[in-house]
Amino acid sequence: MHRLKLITAVAAVLLTSPALAQEITVWDVNVDEPSHATYYAGAKAAFEAAHPGATLTFQSQPDAEYYTLLGTAFASKTGPDVIWANGGAQAKSLVGGLIPLDDKLPDLISKLVGKSAFTAPDGKLYFIPTTLQGHVVYYNKTLYKAAGLDPNKPPATWAEVTKMCDALKATKVACFMMANKEGFEAEFFLSEMANQSLTAQQQADWLTGKLHWSDAPIKAILQAWVDTAKAGWYQEGGNSQTMFMDEFTLFSQGGAGNVWGLLSNVAHWKVFEKDMGVDNVGVYPMPSPTVAADQHEGAPGVPLDGGVGYGVNKDSPNIDLAVDAVKILASPEVLANLVKDSGVVPANTLVDTSGIDSPGLKQIMGWLADRAVPTTHANSSAAELDEWHRQSQLLLNGDTTVDAAAAALDKIQAQAKPQ
Amino acid sequence: MATNTIRQTAQGVPPRSPSRRRGRAEARAALLFLLPAVLLVLVFRIIPLFWGFGLSLTSATATTPGEFIGWGNYLRALDDPNFRASIANAGVVLLAVPLFVTIPMVLAILIDQGVPGRAFFRSVYFLPVVLSSVIIGSIFSIVLGFNGQLNGALKLLGIPGVDWLGQSATALPVTLVIQSWSTFGMGVLIFLAGLSTVPKDMVEAARLEGAKMWQIWWHIIIPELRPVIEFSTVITTIGLLTSMFGLIYVLTGGGPGTATTVPEYLIWAAQGRLNQPAYAAALSIILFVCTGILAWLQIRIMSRNANF
Repeated sequence: MHRLKLITAVAAVLLTSPALAQEITVWDVNVDEPSHATYYAGAKAAFEAAHPGATLTFQSQPDAEYYTLLGTAFASKTGPDVIWANGGAQAKSLVGGLIPLDDKLPDLISKLVGKSAFTAPDGKLYFIPTTLQGHVVYYNKTLYKAAGLDPNKPPATWAEVTKMCDALKATKVACFMMANKEGFEAEFFLSEMANQSLTAQQQADWLTGKLHWSDAPIKAILQAWVDTAKAGWYQEGGNSQTMFMDEFTLFSQGGAGNVWGLLSNVAHWKVFEKDMGVDNVGVYPMPSPTVAADQHEGAPGVPLDGGVGYGVNKDSPNIDLAVDAVKILASPEVLANLVKDSGVVPANTLVDTSGIDSPGLKQIMGWLADRAVPTTHANSSAAELDEWHRQSQLLLNGDTTVDAAAAALDKIQAQAKPQ
Repeated sequence: MATNTIRQTAQGVPPRSPSRRRGRAEARAALLFLLPAVLLVLVFRIIPLFWGFGLSLTSATATTPGEFIGWGNYLRALDDPNFRASIANAGVVLLAVPLFVTIPMVLAILIDQGVPGRAFFRSVYFLPVVLSSVIIGSIFSIVLGFNGQLNGALKLLGIPGVDWLGQSATALPVTLVIQSWSTFGMGVLIFLAGLSTVPKDMVEAARLEGAKMWQIWWHIIIPELRPVIEFSTVITTIGLLTSMFGLIYVLTGGGPGTATTVPEYLIWAAQGRLNQPAYAAALSIILFVCTGILAWLQIRIMSRNANF
């Protein structure tokens, strides 16, 4: 009888103690990724050491349906405490379900870059970026050599890109990989072409919807999409080729001379250096057909913004603990594991990357200091990107004109970003 | 006896016969047996339907409840070129219904007539039915890719390759062919079951009278199969309008452009990609009403024919 009373008393204490009953759940699509294992383990250990009795649980979510599941969870108020998201349109569409973090983590936020991808139109930061995402071109040095090109001198102007593509075409090799089944290649293309052809003011106008798809600088990008296809830069069948499933593997296997790739997570320097050999892969920022007044010919910019980040559900019963979990996930000590294992470029400037011996990463880190420009597609609305996916496929097939595509996109932009 | 009856009537209590009591007990038992199914339909179909309709009248997003906007989402759908394209595609899909019904019917009749290897064909035809649409989509994405096996074979014959899934002209027809391949086995099974009810003596008599094979098919077998044909048409129509999402998602992603976007795919895109559940709900209600009207029309035709 005494034992029963004792057990009841202990159970009552455990249940009424907030610290002991608390579990912070994190939804993330990379939980099963082996290269992320040390990062999550480190975050969990640091969190649980700082909050005895509380637990940090990472729940794996499917990448393809993630935002659908998240939307359903928000609607039924069963979402996790901490939410992972890609920077840009998707993250910004979720801010109604999150708390702003500006006042919660001011010290940490002052050390971060890439915040605009997670900043809502109200000017508040709703996700803490952990990685940076950006767009550069990776190229195959062996194929360059075979085409008579200097593998250590990648193109720096549009004229040089055109010349390089002509040389590769002469050896029956596609100049750039094209995988636009999901429309993602068109997203990358938009940012890669805008990096040098848009002024800083035009990039700002794009974000607010004052620069339209039918305005000359953007229409020129749509035209470049058509012209490069007509010039035979891409392999055939691009509209039925998947990007993340196939394109980057095919590039690693010598499917094309160049590929528009990323800085973090997938299709980035570490993956290509591992698959193709450090000496066989090079990297350069993509030049644009036209150079804006405040840009420099021969020194293209790198579209750069927050890659992925973590936000806090406003319906979380443990908001303070959830905020602390986000702080730990973005802390330099914990994030260093992710940088080392998976090769992401960190958003926290205090993370030490000096120990990573990669010629590609060293070049990229050098450009980030003085060549970062906004990622144009990340500053587009989800509805615009969805329509751009469709229109880009039609343009690639010759089923529509640049004017008609721009008009269709203008209509969507006007609905998504009313003036 | 007569006195008792008069007394009961006078007291306003109807006389209860044993058969009536038994009938009520049976009705209660029937209701009890039906209850689980009724509850499932009510909870998972009827209530969500009304809930979805309510949602479709709001401006709700994934994270905000939104405001009541009346028919705003429905008017938006009418003005949405992608929705109009998806309806046009649904029309093309419906035009293919006769093929989706005829092919399994013809194959089932051939099997029933005793073609050599009928057991083998019956198994082989049914095999794709047990494969998930994702697996089928993945297989055909590889086979029909620009560098896939089909173009490889065409190349051997000197025919240039075609981007079957990436060209607007070919993407939807090819998707329909694959959908037909993946589902016709079930149709064959349904028609085989129907063929077992066709009187064999009638077929035999016609044969003895010297009727040709096509005459037997046209004048005896197909008229006898009429109820099965009508049933198959109804379920094929509903299936094509509501069950092609998985295949389209894997094969083409609704593209190129809107070439393979059907209403159910657009519903997913509105919810899954654009976080617009209220608009997705409005599209769902439109699809439900269209499918309901089509099914009602077909069932009405079936009932009328059954009365002849």
